[in-house]
Amino acid sequence: MIEYPILSMTTFLPLVGAVAILVIRHERVARWTALATTLLTFAVSIPLYTQLDKNNAALQFVESAEWIPAWNIAYGMGVDGISVPFIGLATLLSVLCISVSWTAVKTRVRGFYAAILVAETAMIGVFAASNLFLFFMFWELMVVPMFLLIGVWGGPGRVFAAVKFLLFTLAGSVLMLVGMIGLYDSCGTLDFKALADAKDILTPEHQAWLFAAFLAAFAVKVPMFPFHTWLPDAHTEAPTAGSVILAGILLKMGAYGFLRVSIPILPDGLALFLQPMLVISAVAIVYGAYVTLVQTDMKRLIAFSSVSHMGFVTLGIFTLDQRGVEGAILQMINHGIVSAALFLCVGMIYERTHTREIKDYGGVGKVAPVYAVLLALFCLASAGFPGLNSFVGEFLIIGAAFKTHAGLGGMAIWGVGLGTAYIVWLFYRVVMGKLNPGLEGLRLELNAREIATLAPLAVGVVCLGLYPEWILSYLHAPVAELLAGISR
Amino acid sequence: MTIEWLHPGLLLILGAWVIPILKGRVKRAFMLALPLAALVTCLLMTQGNYGKMSFLGQDVEFGRVDSLSLVFSYVFSLIAFLGMVYSLHVDDDSQHVAALTYAGGALGVTFAGDFLSLYVFWELMAISSVVLVWRRRERAAVAAGFRYLLFHVVGGLVLLAGIVLLWSETGSFAFGDLGSISGSAAWWLILVAFLLNAAVPPLGAWLPDAYPQATVTGAVFMTALTTKSAVYVLIRGFAGTELLIWLGAIMAIYGVVYAVLENDARRLLAYHIISQVGYMVCGVGIGTALAINGATAHAFAHILYKALLFMGAGAVLHTTGLRKLSEMGGLYKTMPITLGLYMIGAFAISAVPLFSGFVSKSMIVSAAGDAQLGVIFLMLTLASAGTFLHTGLKLPYYMFFGKDSGAKGKEPPRNMLVAMGLAAIACVLIGLFPGLLYGILPIQTADYVPYTLQHVTSTLGMLAFTALGFFLLLKQLDPTRTISLDTDWFYRRGTTRFLSLVLGPLSRFENGFVGQIYEFVIRRPVFGVANLVQRFDSFVVDAAVVGVGSWTQRMSQVWRTMASGHTQHYALIMAAGVVALLAWAVLAI
Repeated sequence: MIEYPILSMTTFLPLVGAVAILVIRHERVARWTALATTLLTFAVSIPLYTQLDKNNAALQFVESAEWIPAWNIAYGMGVDGISVPFIGLATLLSVLCISVSWTAVKTRVRGFYAAILVAETAMIGVFAASNLFLFFMFWELMVVPMFLLIGVWGGPGRVFAAVKFLLFTLAGSVLMLVGMIGLYDSCGTLDFKALADAKDILTPEHQAWLFAAFLAAFAVKVPMFPFHTWLPDAHTEAPTAGSVILAGILLKMGAYGFLRVSIPILPDGLALFLQPMLVISAVAIVYGAYVTLVQTDMKRLIAFSSVSHMGFVTLGIFTLDQRGVEGAILQMINHGIVSAALFLCVGMIYERTHTREIKDYGGVGKVAPVYAVLLALFCLASAGFPGLNSFVGEFLIIGAAFKTHAGLGGMAIWGVGLGTAYIVWLFYRVVMGKLNPGLEGLRLELNAREIATLAPLAVGVVCLGLYPEWILSYLHAPVAELLAGISR
Repeated sequence: MTIEWLHPGLLLILGAWVIPILKGRVKRAFMLALPLAALVTCLLMTQGNYGKMSFLGQDVEFGRVDSLSLVFSYVFSLIAFLGMVYSLHVDDDSQHVAALTYAGGALGVTFAGDFLSLYVFWELMAISSVVLVWRRRERAAVAAGFRYLLFHVVGGLVLLAGIVLLWSETGSFAFGDLGSISGSAAWWLILVAFLLNAAVPPLGAWLPDAYPQATVTGAVFMTALTTKSAVYVLIRGFAGTELLIWLGAIMAIYGVVYAVLENDARRLLAYHIISQVGYMVCGVGIGTALAINGATAHAFAHILYKALLFMGAGAVLHTTGLRKLSEMGGLYKTMPITLGLYMIGAFAISAVPLFSGFVSKSMIVSAAGDAQLGVIFLMLTLASAGTFLHTGLKLPYYMFFGKDSGAKGKEPPRNMLVAMGLAAIACVLIGLFPGLLYGILPIQTADYVPYTLQHVTSTLGMLAFTALGFFLLLKQLDPTRTISLDTDWFYRRGTTRFLSLVLGPLSRFENGFVGQIYEFVIRRPVFGVANLVQRFDSFVVDAAVVGVGSWTQRMSQVWRTMASGHTQHYALIMAAGVVALLAWAVLAI
């Protein structure tokens, strides 16, 4: 009896939906098909979260089939506690992306939804692949729909932003390809597990070069300072759903790459790069926060805040401390929720006002109290308010950072301070004060569909804040295994 | 499953959100019932440890109920009730929700048995209290609210850093006496964060900056909760820290001195909070059983009389719209009840016998005497005289008596008077029957007796001389009885040249002090750096990327001209290549 291939089902279901949408002529049907596909994908993925053995660090739900036997490359899928939360986040955010675009996207509707579904397949695939070859395929597949989402459905500067995004990402992936070939050349396999076992073949010098090659790809995706400048442009010009996918998932792929490839397979190379990585991460936190402070465009502001928040992630990962790595993964999930929510909030109000400039807002709370309350919740979460989700991740990371070096912890704290300042100031300028005359007569309050879109994220913000163990319980075993692997 | 323990703070925080959906009488009844329920919950509570949870593999304890946390919980929930009575007429749900959340946060801090839950409620207090400033909806209030928030955010981060350090050093979040790690970085960070909330100068500049800007009703909550919850955590963690003795005594004097300069009624009272909290901080520093009891008792009494004083000044502000003492005067005719109730509070803060301040403040002063701290004893006694001078004499004199300014006052709404009446009753009750308060103090020792002949006579003597001095000075300084307490008053009077020398620069320094700090220490550097970093990002980091792109494009433009499509061009290039190859071959040989 062939076991039910849950991972392949989850991964390729959206692709099937995308094909179906391209066949369907009718836009309304296409829209509903997209929504149904994402909902179904989410439903199909549920056993992953419930049936995963949390105490087992090995890959589970493993699927393997011969693919290119001559090269010893297989089609391999498998997940552990580190990847499962990301699949959950990706399937959830995809539903919300469809929902928020319901009325916002008016041109080439079928293509738009097909692109989102292809992106969903790529997102899930990256986190479900159990060998580097497949990982790379999904990694590259992700670029195509993102390029189209930005370049076709984006804002006025969309072409420039899309090309910048494409070139940046491709430059990174080319080096990853080189690294992959190098690995294959030495080890004769591309399976993650086999590579980790075979890593002793590689000399430290060899590992360092490979680490640098993979670093190029991952650092661009995270993005780490100073490879971040594609992010504000891409975020600003992308349609709301595109920004949500970018901030929610795409950025996490880079950090996930560190956890899946760089750390377990190239520990000696990592040792060489460890200190600069820590410093760059801490710099990114403060640097990103400062730049965020003076942004005048709401989407650009949230984009730069991502640079700062992802700095926490890489800082946590490179502390190589159980708490720090767990905190970093938790922070990725939290940032995925919060930044997606903030982009959704901005997108929803943009749909009514057609401006992203902060100075065109003010007093929104008076006419849209529900919107104001939800935005307040997400802003507080972004500021790391205790009891909401981001606090726990940042707390764990800062704790591990202090253990590594007091200066890193100090910079992280400074970043939190600036983070509170810019987000509270944003909230103040948009929501409080007198109603901006330019907004008079507009119906700014959210409708039921939009409230329903934000509701799951609001629930997540509160629940993960109060009970982070919900995610952390998945992480204990695999993170311990990951860190044990380095010291071996 | 039965609920073994109901957190009164959570009761307030969650219950507050019901208020916006209620209307009319039901709403008002609920606004009173909610804090009353919290008060009853606190009163019925038995000591023990409740609400334990596991968080990040550590025990988190939301309910440490012991004699110390109980006293503070009583007074916090009591003041939440009185504050709601006082603000019953206000038609602004966000204020009510914020005020109750704020009070709930204070109760949460009180019952927190560990630093994590403490931090949660600590931040909640900062966020919710700033709403009480903002809802005044004046430009100055919004700006002051921002500075207030910023101060507390910074304080919160210092606390967070301290907690994280403590955690990475000891592996524990337990919140108890921190004497064992005294002097470590974590100890200092936590202490500084607590002192910031206790408004210890110079960390306390936020208090006189923000409190006068708060809404009339919101100020009542603010005056009671933030500084006193800080006193509570100081007692918990830093009892017997010698530094605090001196800080406290300096605070007690500092608040009184600055009150001299004040013309804004609520700002004057705000400075007196600093002075009074100074007594408590001093008591915490002394750390003997009597001193700790004194700090606790004084916090209890202080919350009630200070709230009463703020309610009185707020009532004047509410009915006349006036905040400057120099504009008031003659209000005794139209607001006699407010005057009477205010004076009870004034007597209580001045530690007049038979009022609450007398039985609580004297404990700390006596503890200082017992511990052979002569200078401290003297400083605290001096501050006492100054307190009476400003709160008991100057403020009521200019507000209610003095030259009739023509300001039209009337008694405030009945609910305000009721709240003031209840607070006044409490002040008198504690003064008359100190056993009521002494019975619930954290450390039960041999009874302290406040009403000794020597104590009563010396206090009365001091008060009488202060009063005499005030009226003599007043007559001499103010022949025309046109009283303007603006700072130039000090310059105009030849007889007070000395004062002008000393206080003039002080006053210039103090007025807008927080604004200056904010401008020069925080806003300008932060935005200066931010603009610099932004420019670096655009003109260096991003320019490099764009530069590589455009350089590639330009190069390809150049190379494109090579592919002209003319065969003769290609032939020429080929010929040139052959020549070059030949030349190379010849040279190589």
